[in-house]
Amino acid sequence: MTTTATSNQQQARKAQRRSSLWQVTRGQRLRYAGAIGAMALTGLFLFGAPMIGRYAIDVVQSGDIRDGISLLASFLPHTSSEQAGVSAYLWASAALTLLVTAIAGCFLYLRGRWAAIASEAITQQLRQALYRRLHHVEAKFYDTADTGDLVQRCSSDVETIRVFLAVHVVEIGRAIMLFVTVMPFLFWMDSRLAWLSIMIMPILAAGAYVFFDKVKTLFEAADKAEGRLTATLQENLTGIRVVRAFARQNFETQKFAERNAQFRDRSQRLMVLQSYYWGVTDFFAMGQLGVVLIVGATFMRDGTLTVGALFAFMTYVGMVIWPVRHLGRVLADTGKAVIALGRVNHILREPAELDGHVPMSGRARGHLQLNNLQFNYDPQTPVLENLTLGIAPGETLGIVGPPGCGKTSLIRVLLRLYDYVDGSVTLDGNELRDLDRHWLRSQIGVVFQDPFLYSRTIGSNVAIGRPNADNNDIWKACQDAAIHDAILGFPDGYDEKVGERGATLSGGQRQRLALARTLLKDPPVLILDDSLSAVDTGTEQLILRALRERKGKQTTLIIAHRLSSVRHADRILVLNHGRVEQLGSHEQLSTSDGLYQRLCKIQSKLDDAIDIDLQASKNNLGA
Amino acid sequence: MDEYDDDTFDDGFNDDASAKRVNLSLWKKLFAYARRYPRDLFWLGVCAFVTACMEVAYPLLTRGVVDEVAIKGADANLLPWVIMYLLVTAAIAIAITAFVQIAGKVRTHVSHDIRAAGFDNLQRLSFSYYDHRPVGWLMARMTSDCERLSNILAWGFLDLIWGSTMMLGIALAMLVMNPKLALVVLCVIPLLAWVSAKFQRRILKSARVVRATNSRITASYNEAIMGVLTSKSFVREDSNQKDFGALTGRMQSASVLNLTQAAIYLPLVITLASLVMGMTLAIGGFDVLNGLVTAGTLVAFMAYARHFFEPVEQLGSWFAEMQMAQASAERILSLIEAEPEIADSAEVQSAIAAQQVISETRSNVAADGGEAQIEHIELRNLSFAYDPAKPVLDDINLSVKRGETIAIVGPTGGGKSTLVNLICRFYEPTRGTVFINHVDYRTRSLNWLQSSLGMVLQNAHVFSGTIMENIRYGRLEASDAEVIAAAKLAGAHDLVTTMEKGYDTQTGEGGTSLSAGQKQLVSFARAILANPQILIMDEATSSVDTETESRIQAGLGNVLEGRIAFVIAHRLSTIRNAHRILVIAEGKIAEMGSHEELMALNGRYRELYRQQSLQETTFELAT
Repeated sequence: MTTTATSNQQQARKAQRRSSLWQVTRGQRLRYAGAIGAMALTGLFLFGAPMIGRYAIDVVQSGDIRDGISLLASFLPHTSSEQAGVSAYLWASAALTLLVTAIAGCFLYLRGRWAAIASEAITQQLRQALYRRLHHVEAKFYDTADTGDLVQRCSSDVETIRVFLAVHVVEIGRAIMLFVTVMPFLFWMDSRLAWLSIMIMPILAAGAYVFFDKVKTLFEAADKAEGRLTATLQENLTGIRVVRAFARQNFETQKFAERNAQFRDRSQRLMVLQSYYWGVTDFFAMGQLGVVLIVGATFMRDGTLTVGALFAFMTYVGMVIWPVRHLGRVLADTGKAVIALGRVNHILREPAELDGHVPMSGRARGHLQLNNLQFNYDPQTPVLENLTLGIAPGETLGIVGPPGCGKTSLIRVLLRLYDYVDGSVTLDGNELRDLDRHWLRSQIGVVFQDPFLYSRTIGSNVAIGRPNADNNDIWKACQDAAIHDAILGFPDGYDEKVGERGATLSGGQRQRLALARTLLKDPPVLILDDSLSAVDTGTEQLILRALRERKGKQTTLIIAHRLSSVRHADRILVLNHGRVEQLGSHEQLSTSDGLYQRLCKIQSKLDDAIDIDLQASKNNLGA
Repeated sequence: MDEYDDDTFDDGFNDDASAKRVNLSLWKKLFAYARRYPRDLFWLGVCAFVTACMEVAYPLLTRGVVDEVAIKGADANLLPWVIMYLLVTAAIAIAITAFVQIAGKVRTHVSHDIRAAGFDNLQRLSFSYYDHRPVGWLMARMTSDCERLSNILAWGFLDLIWGSTMMLGIALAMLVMNPKLALVVLCVIPLLAWVSAKFQRRILKSARVVRATNSRITASYNEAIMGVLTSKSFVREDSNQKDFGALTGRMQSASVLNLTQAAIYLPLVITLASLVMGMTLAIGGFDVLNGLVTAGTLVAFMAYARHFFEPVEQLGSWFAEMQMAQASAERILSLIEAEPEIADSAEVQSAIAAQQVISETRSNVAADGGEAQIEHIELRNLSFAYDPAKPVLDDINLSVKRGETIAIVGPTGGGKSTLVNLICRFYEPTRGTVFINHVDYRTRSLNWLQSSLGMVLQNAHVFSGTIMENIRYGRLEASDAEVIAAAKLAGAHDLVTTMEKGYDTQTGEGGTSLSAGQKQLVSFARAILANPQILIMDEATSSVDTETESRIQAGLGNVLEGRIAFVIAHRLSTIRNAHRILVIAEGKIAEMGSHEELMALNGRYRELYRQQSLQETTFELAT
């Protein structure tokens, strides 16, 4: 148990480490740094363009190329007239603008490419981790989890994080870089104007902080409303037959309308908040530009600033303010990403099944021994109590009992889908808890009551039982499960697709297909969990006969409601309220007082009646 | 083998079967949902217009200030400019706040309305509609499609007005200021449009791959969750992970390609813009030198050159999005406009309307003015086929009186469930008629008939919520005592009371926390509570143990009194007490009569009956 505790802790710590957005970027940070660096260089070159424009305007204003960039002017051929000189300077400026922008464009490309590779790599890791975790969490996780909600977390929440990583991480980096690089330019050109242009920043920052907080709350509320809406819709659609059978359309429509309106109103509230943020920040941002323009103009009037410098200033301030204007969107999306990551982490933090330490290999003999086994889903309601039972290799054990007596729970414990609370279960003398789960499960074949089929062909669904099986093995298994003929009846036979778009299989066909794949697996322990309930009696008898032919080769547990399914078992276990009520052969139990005898009496009363009927009708027919 | 090949997953989730042309009539129909908010649309247009005008005005203001100072020097009066700048900024801030709010409102409301219309119609559509459309498909229409289309309708509309105003405004301002320079800027537009079209198409194409792969990833998550117990019991974790890894790998490379294309596109656009800026600078600068153009105009032109491309790009991407989303639009409209194959005729509707006017309620008058009490059901020459070549039912004749219980037996696929579905009018006969009280049931209200039904199906569907709520679904106004009484009749009471929370036990999503038998009992109680005139039991107790079943049988006599009941069962013991038994095989009534009569007939029924009894003894001999 101590090993369990420590590895649980380790897992918790490991999960904790994955919790922040910063942690998610691990492994790709260098690439992100490259992307941000490229973005900074892009910015640097893009600043060049207004600078070139500034000097060009100043040259034009004064008509003297000595007011321009001297380096650029020195490259120009000497011209006779001043006009031709200015003209050459202007064209050179134009070419330089193009060149500088093209170089910036190359860096921009690098930034996009690197950011794409980094964010996609992270997203892929996240997706894989989620998928793995969904397979490895304990089965009890699914008792309370909602499928629609889980899928939403894995798809749209991951997408929110992906967008954040692909766009906003670099965008935030860029805003910071821009600020850091533009500011020296501004101060170098005119420190008075520079101070004026950053005046507004603290206000915007404070506003953004408040907004960030609010948007998170509202987004979470809207997200919840969306989840509820989806769940209501899904329930209505999957239960549409019940809705119709009770003519509850109005009731359902009203319920849906409520959820629909709630989602609408909450999303709208989010938009209203954003609208104020956008309006206010735009007012400040544009006002900021106005201040620079007007004050700059007065400086110009005093002769302390050139027209070109003002132009450059306005362009730079515009550049810095642009990301600030978009900060609202970036922040809103960051808020969403934080929430989304929280929801994804909820799955990733779920503890995985732990593995035992006894290495096992080969095929089990199939000897099961239960000693004082106790199990429950929650401590208040015991499900299995002090269950003691030995099942010999090759034995067939029938299990009967009223609904909710713990039959299915027993199977879950044997598969270690759930952990037993106390007592012991051994397979061939090895405590289940100490065994490798995967090995254990490969030794047990279960056919569930409501079997799940993968959306693949019928053939590959059966082959899941033994991936290396050949067609003959598959056909044999299907024949034993009395499904072979039905499969051949489908248009595509074994290549018919299962699923919503393929063949619609009846409940009985699904059960038989699930049986076939388990028979193909040929496990030392075979469990049928009420898995013939939808199969008609005649077919059931065919299947049971095929199973009897395999008798002795594997330990078999048959849970059933019909006496006909269990009466030929070596022993029959009557389970009631999680305890062994009776255990023995059909002959023993049918003669001793108890639940099984009552079942037999009901059945034999029917049998007698049938006999009498048959007899009577035979006489009639004879007469 | 690639389990995620396109064919396997081409299940209608491919949202982007991009259209070559934009189908205007389709969008007009959808736009009708936005037109429900005419005042909002009007103001949205006004705000977009104002915003665009103000954005066009900024460079003009800059030009004015620069020229004021450049020309008048120290005498320049900046106060009017300050006021104008302030006004423009205030106007833009207000317009932006307003349009974000209004667009948000229109978007959320349109999405809500489309969804509500879809849901309403889904509640009316016949079962045949659901036969070919998986729940997942319908969910996608009602969630992501709605969001996507409402987004286009609200923001696309906004951007259409904003973009065209802005383009027009800038072009106009430039042409008025200086036609020659304006032409320099405008002549680059075709080049930009060409580059945009070329790239947008590529980007859209790769985006389509990304989306399609994404649907597949979602489907895999769904399968992973639904089939987790099966995957665990077959130790499929690693092979599933491998398949999924291939899928996410494909996703990663498709995404990186898509983002890389975008990363090339953006620099190209910027470079083109700088080309325009350079040309403006060179040509315009020379004119400034010659006094043909003022410095302010040059500054304004360079600002315009930067801003002109924004709306071009914006409109281009909306156009592309509309092309992409056209398939979504078609599908959601087809869902909303689909006519239910089975619905009240015009006469029935007017009869219902007329009955509503007569406010007095008479006990034996239904909502459509017909008799409320069902005394008699007659099927005359009833035939049904999904596919004309393969009739499911052929020429069925049957007459049933109130108080009668009809049992239906026969091999799987013989048409038993179809017969019941026809009686319930979930499907309508392809030939022949069903008469209720000697009146064709197509002239009666559908809602009246279906609210007179009670159904218990083999695959009992239970909604999430408490057991109490689930049973009460049968009759919403039932008191707790009535619910409990129904549960007792159904044999569910004892079972429920052994649960820790009794009737307040949560059933989980789709009833996951109940066993199949428990679900059947709950849905049986629900049907009893509905106090139906027609009770349908389709393999209603197949997952219930023999003892519980016999207890139900004992109480069933009382339940069935005064009702018409149809009971489908495999277990013949269940049906011996029926008044009449139908043996349905190959779509026809093979035998009909009481138990005794059919036994005397020495036909199929007797054979079925004999099988049940003899199986047990023959197999005993075999072992």
